[in-house]
Amino acid sequence: MGRPKAWLEWHGSTLLYRAAAVVGRAVDGPVVVVAAPGQELPPLPSGVTVVEDPVEGLGPMQGLAVGLAAVADRAEVAFVCSTDLPFLHPAFVRRVLRAMDGGADVALPVARGFRQPLAAGYRTALAGLVTELLAAGDLRPGMLFKHCEAVQLNDGELLADSGLARHDPELESVVNVNSPEDYAAARERPPAEVTVECFGALARNGSHRPRTVPAATLGAAAAAAGLTLDRHVVAALNGDQVTRDGALPLVAGDTVSFLSADAGG
Amino acid sequence: MAPGGFFGQALLVDVAGRDASGAPIALDEPVLRSYLGGVGLGTWLLHRLAPPGVDPLAPEAPLAFVFSSLVGTPLTTSAKFAVVAKSPLTGLLTDALASSRFAIAGKLTGHDAIVIRGRADELSVLLIDGGDVRLEPAPELAGLTAAQAETAARERFGRNWRSAAIGPAGERQVRYATISHDGRHAGRGGLGAVMGAKNIKAVLVRAAAKVSVADPAGVLAAARDLRERSFGPATAKYRELGTLANLLAFNAVSTLPTRNFTAATFEGAPRLAAEELHELRGVARNSCASCSIGCEHIYSRKGGGQQRMEYENVFALGPLCGVSDPDEVFAASARCDELGIDTISAGGTIAWAMECVERGLLDEPWLRFGDGSALIRALDAIGERSPGLGELLAQGSRRAAAVVGGSSIDFAPQVKGLELPGYEPRSLQAMALGLAVNARGADHNRSGAYEADLSGELDRLSGGAAHVAAAVGTEDRAAVMDSMILCKFLRGVFDDPFTEWAGLLALVTGWPVDAAELRETARRIVRAKRAFNQREGATAADDTLPARMLETPLELGSGRRAALDEGRLRSMVAGYYAARGLDAEGRVAPADLAELLLDG
Repeated sequence: MGRPKAWLEWHGSTLLYRAAAVVGRAVDGPVVVVAAPGQELPPLPSGVTVVEDPVEGLGPMQGLAVGLAAVADRAEVAFVCSTDLPFLHPAFVRRVLRAMDGGADVALPVARGFRQPLAAGYRTALAGLVTELLAAGDLRPGMLFKHCEAVQLNDGELLADSGLARHDPELESVVNVNSPEDYAAARERPPAEVTVECFGALARNGSHRPRTVPAATLGAAAAAAGLTLDRHVVAALNGDQVTRDGALPLVAGDTVSFLSADAGG
Repeated sequence: MAPGGFFGQALLVDVAGRDASGAPIALDEPVLRSYLGGVGLGTWLLHRLAPPGVDPLAPEAPLAFVFSSLVGTPLTTSAKFAVVAKSPLTGLLTDALASSRFAIAGKLTGHDAIVIRGRADELSVLLIDGGDVRLEPAPELAGLTAAQAETAARERFGRNWRSAAIGPAGERQVRYATISHDGRHAGRGGLGAVMGAKNIKAVLVRAAAKVSVADPAGVLAAARDLRERSFGPATAKYRELGTLANLLAFNAVSTLPTRNFTAATFEGAPRLAAEELHELRGVARNSCASCSIGCEHIYSRKGGGQQRMEYENVFALGPLCGVSDPDEVFAASARCDELGIDTISAGGTIAWAMECVERGLLDEPWLRFGDGSALIRALDAIGERSPGLGELLAQGSRRAAAVVGGSSIDFAPQVKGLELPGYEPRSLQAMALGLAVNARGADHNRSGAYEADLSGELDRLSGGAAHVAAAVGTEDRAAVMDSMILCKFLRGVFDDPFTEWAGLLALVTGWPVDAAELRETARRIVRAKRAFNQREGATAADDTLPARMLETPLELGSGRRAALDEGRLRSMVAGYYAARGLDAEGRVAPADLAELLLDG
């Protein structure tokens, strides 16, 4: 790839920034990034913390153990994913985590013909078991699934979620980038179509009425609306988060509402 | 000699029988510097002049009109005054700000405040001409709207008087009646009822004195600079669409209280939106006296006439009552102006009654969410205090809930008895704290913590330490702006507010005041308000929100839930107490009272 996947440029930020921000959009709890020993990371979204994996070379199971342990005191379940999922959609994350409501230890998507352990849900209490398996030399996620209750989610079960079916019908959330060609192809795809609306003093010539623009990030959506995210402008994403983070990734189905920063009395 | 911009005295007017008498009260420089004017000085005056435990509608309860050093200067938005009294709605301190030429003429009677006590024998007009005070019976003004009364009084006494008047609801002591002047209102807390209880229909003032500032050239230069900045992007929202611009934006972020706070989005919002109405109905834009922003947006009414519309009256008489027809909301707003009642408390109390009807707690089947005609009928009943529903709702939602019983207090939209403004606490959790702890009750002008919630700098659904800091910070800024007095719509033009405000005060008064001193002043004013409420019986139990807000989460359009439970609110309240230097029960310690100069 020429450089670490975490640093690959993605519409003005990086693949890692996008992955962390999309997960953050989908969950209420903390978001942590597990870094290899001494690994330098690109800037991360506000609120995302980094934990360092003390052991190098043990693969994703080691990162899983460290990540689950890092959030075990604040969350019962966690969505775990790799950096290189440029089309990960928050609806996918929510769908996977919802599969754990019944008490399963793991929600494992089997999407686009493959098991997806690095786009899956895990109960954080599994951290100890994963560590034990690593100590026993079991480095493959498949070994973990033999020791706990894992619920598999095939394409049909995943797409039973109407939001996911509408916004990611091909389950591209699990498409990863393993070669320069994969990356180039992903980068050439047009950004998602999102809805923008402007309110108050930002609304001119009827621009408070919703309209659709292609935009991979909040900053791009602002530019499409003729705005700059300065001290006078904020945005609400799907009526929820209020933010000025221009690098915030947008996905298909998003609605961005631009408000005057002095909204209120 | 008084500091620049001040006269160094208040006028205490006693109205009794058919006479009125005035006596000066010295306002020493330490008091003026400690409380600045406006709301701050008004709080100090209430401490001094309101007997502990006084009935707000009793003759001896004081009603204070308070000016400031900036009033009468060319500084934009400074033609403001505060009206301060013990509220008949909350039983605690209330203060309302308004802007008009009354502020300038009132101050130029030669007083930094005018305090009225007593009760006239019959409906009267109080005239203050410098130090001369007289009472004139005015039975012919009975039942007139405030605007009609102002016109009639000036026709009778002369056009060089400026007036503040009450409408019929004030005469009848509806507990959320307003005091009006030049079409503006000192709106919250029932100040009109206090004036009505004194049998004063209107207060007329006439300028008779001059006041000088410490650095006239400096004030003029600062005024030019501030005026220029007031035309910039920080005030664009107010200039272009006015506060009604909030409505569609708040709807988009699930913080538009709807149907008595059972929802935070309203399907009828687009019909009431400033963005739409401006294109279809906008006819004019007005400014208060001495203001260069011009936030008043006037709309045409179906069938003729015009109406000034703001976010709060549209929210309260529209979404909160489920009404989406703009003409019905315009009509209801106009009726509130005619009666002289606070639109927020009126809308909140009626919305509560509508929910009571839905739940079978009130037998008024005509009073339904979404019915604009029913809304007007209820307003008329309140204004008349007609037996039954009108009398009940004229008391405000907290007292009415005590009468209706059942679980109705749980969904009465009030804090300390004052109805909630148009900010959903569950999806604005810094604001939730501000609403809970504010001395005036549920209030958006003394606590602008929604700014932090909507800034993108904290998670508005997860109240915590950052939200406490934001609530304290916005309350401090409000305390200074409300006491200096400057319009809060100007707040965005200041890059370093306390430093810049200190600079303005120094030019006017001559005091070598700095930002640190002003921050301490803000804290003092907030603590003095709490000390007054403490004296009047307020406890930590009053620093809360309606049970609905703490027990029923809201579903947002995004799929997330906005939940605020008792534990989280109490944790934030405790953080607020600590930041304010209060004890665990929210009290100002006896040892700290001395530094508030409340004894003189």
